[in-house]
Amino acid sequence: MKFLTTILLFFLCLPALAYPSSSENAGKKMVVVPGGNYYSFLVTNSNKPIPVAAFLMDETAVTNAEFLEFVKANPSWQRSKVNRLFADANYLKQWAGDLDLGKDRQKLGNTPVVNVSWFAAEAYAKWKGKRLPTVAEWELAGAGTPDKLKKNMSLTDYILDWYNRPNAQQLPATKTTYRNEYGLYDMHGLIWEWTFNFNSFISKGDSRATTEDEKKLFCAAGAMSVKDRKNYAAFLRFSYRGSLKGSYCIANLGFRCAKSIK
Amino acid sequence: MKNILLLASIALLLGSCSDTNKNTDKKPDATSVVQAQTALPEASIFNITDTFTNQHKVPLQLTSLRGKPAVVGMIFSHCGYACPRLTADMKIIHDKLGPKAKEVNFLLVSFDVARDTPARLEAYAKETELTPDWILLHGNEQAVRTLSVLLNVQYEKDADGNFSHSNTISVLDKDGVLAYQKEGLEADHTETIGTIEKMIP
Repeated sequence: MKFLTTILLFFLCLPALAYPSSSENAGKKMVVVPGGNYYSFLVTNSNKPIPVAAFLMDETAVTNAEFLEFVKANPSWQRSKVNRLFADANYLKQWAGDLDLGKDRQKLGNTPVVNVSWFAAEAYAKWKGKRLPTVAEWELAGAGTPDKLKKNMSLTDYILDWYNRPNAQQLPATKTTYRNEYGLYDMHGLIWEWTFNFNSFISKGDSRATTEDEKKLFCAAGAMSVKDRKNYAAFLRFSYRGSLKGSYCIANLGFRCAKSIK
Repeated sequence: MKNILLLASIALLLGSCSDTNKNTDKKPDATSVVQAQTALPEASIFNITDTFTNQHKVPLQLTSLRGKPAVVGMIFSHCGYACPRLTADMKIIHDKLGPKAKEVNFLLVSFDVARDTPARLEAYAKETELTPDWILLHGNEQAVRTLSVLLNVQYEKDADGNFSHSNTISVLDKDGVLAYQKEGLEADHTETIGTIEKMIP
């Protein structure tokens, strides 16, 4: 009797969760990214690498079609209903309407969803029973060796070449750039991606005033770019992340989810 | 029989739910009456629904702080340099407000979700001689990160479990809308205090 009551209570309590969990978790392939030590090129108080445990990551960025399912299930994230605190006016502007991808829906469906805020990405990940990767996780995953790159470029050359090019008018579909050794697609070359702690402190801590920090950051960055082009690419990503606010919706910024291995 | 069981479960469920609610509202400065009156403004930071826990181990949603302006700082209690100063800066603001300080919520939220348990925060409040009206909050990683994003506070945990972070004092109006921010330590608080005083009737 007690047991039955407990079970009933459990099911009755389920709807109380903020986001109903999706039943389609099986739909998106996740791959294992081995753990390792993450060496930030930025100076921290301890100067020690950050240990990262092995984790799961979506093999591709979340697509417009996938995000549409989320918005359907969570009306408060529809374009016309979303709170401006959590997503700016560019939110999902590539769509024709709240639940309409427009006449190019077939094509758009398979491209990475962009113009999504950090809050929206967080909410999506939570709905999927996943989370956003940390900066350390993302950088480790992104450093994975490509299977093959055009013109046999090195990954660093490939990244810098991509950073140099203007955004494509229409984003290509996922899986159109390269796959890396972990089985992840398009880590570089398609879009920029949100990370859980994108607002990490980007300079040595405990300084008195932010202006002082910015100066330090600038000096370090100048020196770094001359020494090591690989770090320069990472620095560009750090600067990009540092310039973001959680509500920003940008035409080349999307996300993919991660999950801890229990 | 099945029906009775179901009814009993629902009754139990409702019972347990209302108990939880009571606990949440049982704070000295509960403003549930105000809450019931109008919806939160869109820009209110109190729109986040995560549950935090205060230094007295009482669960709390930010919306329950509605009704008073709030001064908010983000810190970690093991911090050797900046955080004691940030706390000291907030104490200066508290003291300069004099008796009016009781019309304002003073909030310290910790980045250090692992070490800054409610008990540790209570000890920190004693160490730093904070008066009982201060609210020190512990939250899960996601809740604290979300708040930091809304307050434009940057922080990062290093390999030793300490944090690099920006130092910002935020002033929220009585509906939780960000009204003013001061960056840096040992800054001039005149404008911060002026902003708060304008919010107090």
